[in-house]
Amino acid sequence: MNPRHVLQTLADLWGRGSMRALVIGISALYLPLFLFALQDISLGGRAFEFLTTDWTRMFDRTGSFTFEPIARLTLPGLTILLSPINILIGGLISLLVGLNLAVTWIAIRQPRACRFNRSTGILASLPALLAGGACCAPAIALILGLQISSLMISVVQVLIPVSVILLLITLGLILARTNPELVE
Amino acid sequence: MNSTRLIALLAFATVILVLGLLSDSAASETDPSLPVAETPYVLGDPIEAYVEFMMSGGPPPDGIPAIDNPRFISADEAGLRPEAMVIGFAHGGEAKAYPQSILVHHEIVNDVVGGLNVGVTYCPLTATAQGFERGETTFGVSGQLLNSNLVLFDRETESYFSQINATGLTGEHRGHTLAEVNLIWTTWERWRAAHPDTRVLSDRTGHLRNYDRDPYGSYTPLRGYYVEDRTMFPVMHRSGSEHQKEMVVGARTADVSARFVLRALEEERIQMTENFLAVYDPTFHTGVIYERPDGVELDGLGVSPEGDYEFNGAVHAPRELPFEPLVSVDVFYFAWHAFYPDSEHPRVP
Repeated sequence: MNPRHVLQTLADLWGRGSMRALVIGISALYLPLFLFALQDISLGGRAFEFLTTDWTRMFDRTGSFTFEPIARLTLPGLTILLSPINILIGGLISLLVGLNLAVTWIAIRQPRACRFNRSTGILASLPALLAGGACCAPAIALILGLQISSLMISVVQVLIPVSVILLLITLGLILARTNPELVE
Repeated sequence: MNSTRLIALLAFATVILVLGLLSDSAASETDPSLPVAETPYVLGDPIEAYVEFMMSGGPPPDGIPAIDNPRFISADEAGLRPEAMVIGFAHGGEAKAYPQSILVHHEIVNDVVGGLNVGVTYCPLTATAQGFERGETTFGVSGQLLNSNLVLFDRETESYFSQINATGLTGEHRGHTLAEVNLIWTTWERWRAAHPDTRVLSDRTGHLRNYDRDPYGSYTPLRGYYVEDRTMFPVMHRSGSEHQKEMVVGARTADVSARFVLRALEEERIQMTENFLAVYDPTFHTGVIYERPDGVELDGLGVSPEGDYEFNGAVHAPRELPFEPLVSVDVFYFAWHAFYPDSEHPRVP
């Protein structure tokens, strides 16, 4: 994998308005889902209310890679906790998911531009799903009534950095095999 | 003064100094600011086994933040639904209610009630509300679980304690039993009727959470984790003889423990085991457990027409029978069994 080629391809693709819109659109959909999985966005709430707390609390950890909110917006039926670090981490993952899915889409729609077959392109999008599972695994276990083991807790605790690394690897792999000149 | 006398004097002073230092270090072996029980509770397993079985629940220490500066509002301001679950504590002429909807997000409130420094603790996974004297220190949530149950720590010595058996697992307080006070797990309607002047924990906790949402399920109506016949985390002892989430009332002494299924107790009103006596308390829909007195004939114990208890011709409220009362803990069956598999329980008629 040639890093210069990867970065150049990324810059070329980002330069296209349609590609940029696709990435931003996917990220904009993924980020709220990520925050919902973290329970920073949750159902339930009475009247409109906006509360803040000491901003330095944003660095206090609530989990291995999750942090305290410093503001809360309550709406009828919806509560949003604003945790800057969670939004930052979620934003990074969402951007990577957006890029991964966008280049996967190119791989599927225009296999000529990518030197691998369609199924490989779909496989490359799996880390995006893994990233989504990073935060809601305990919630899923609760819903399905699964017994949580200490191994599962250990795995969940590193799922966010692992998914970021996997997203970077798959993005790099796809971009390394993409010829931007052949992308329509 | 000749040299022999000088040496003797110095030796004497040294001995006094060493003795003084030794007594100081002996005194500092235990933290005097955290009250512990004079008689430790019986344990179902050795402490080493508990420590080995303890596992991370996910959050780091204080990742679930305890409420250290609680604010209180009046009963009218609280706006709680009558059927909402609360944890009640009355002491020294003061009554306070801690809504389950807030405690489910914080698990510990470091408070002062009637002049007593107390840690009000609640574990959603085991449905246990237990109060511990805290002296001058405060309690925090460790993020560890033992048998699905809260493991707390005192912030002064950072010793870890298991909530249900109130016992120190690690650190300076390993093996010590916390001084426990009796909390009441009941509905807001029942607590308010018994304590109209009660103050209520405000949702201005100093932390930002969605207090309208319980991540585990709901008590009103009963659904989700709280009613499912399964558990989330491994337990040391498991039994299928009751529904896993059946509410039981448990108590322990230095030597033995007992548990009573709340529904059966409500029906029968009085239940006994070899060493314990339990009566139903209709005011709060809970049980009150007493140590069964030696050599006292209990045949004369009965229910009065008003719903209180008659004993030897006198009428007593459920909490005022002339026996030795024990701290009675409302708890899911699976959790009590995990800690006390050999608990006494009344025979099924």
